[in-house]
Amino acid sequence: MSKAQQILDALGGDDNIVDLEPCITRLRVEVENPDQVDDKALTAAGAIAVVRSGAAIQVIVGPEADNIASDIEDLR
Amino acid sequence: MAGLTVLSPVAGTVVDVSDVDDPVFSAGLVGPGLAVEPDGVRGTEAVAPITGTIVKLHPHAFVVQADDGRAVLVHLGIDTVKLGGEGFTTHASEGDVVERGAVLVSWDPAAVRGGGRSAVCPVVALEATPDAVETLAQVGTTIEHGQPLLSWS
Repeated sequence: MSKAQQILDALGGDDNIVDLEPCITRLRVEVENPDQVDDKALTAAGAIAVVRSGAAIQVIVGPEADNIASDIEDLR
Repeated sequence: MAGLTVLSPVAGTVVDVSDVDDPVFSAGLVGPGLAVEPDGVRGTEAVAPITGTIVKLHPHAFVVQADDGRAVLVHLGIDTVKLGGEGFTTHASEGDVVERGAVLVSWDPAAVRGGGRSAVCPVVALEATPDAVETLAQVGTTIEHGQPLLSWS
């Protein structure tokens, strides 16, 4: 499974994502239900860290954030 | 690898990166570094911190990568992605090879602060180990853009 697919799944899938945008080293994601986000699966997929603030989730993936975000968009 | 001197991208006051109000930068999650609180007047030009290729250029942030692969991230303000580029003018393009000190972005840190955001500029040695990076400027001192900020061994 691709890294983008793993991250998408760990975020609770397409249905759970309200908004997703890359910012240099991180994916800024707004989710419908934060309980469906699996931090461990995100780090298993290669995320350096996950920073949560309610429904706003930041997935820290390093400088390839832009590429991962466009791969995720292709899957949605 | 030869030591790489990272220059301050903006003029202002040197800040400990752990004091930056962003969990990613303050914890060094993407690499160690320092930050500069830009001067409202002298800090309006952001320059390339190292010589290399611009691998990422957003209005509010950029990454320059040296020939040996080491890359430095400069982020102009916190949460400034939300500004959608307004108030920022880029002077180069992704893929350009630039000399250190070349002006890459013009912006208005005072306006960023006026909008309620922090204008502090983290300068990050991407994916470096903390012990590979030494600070060349003291926290709390003023610095001009183009002056040495970090040494990356």
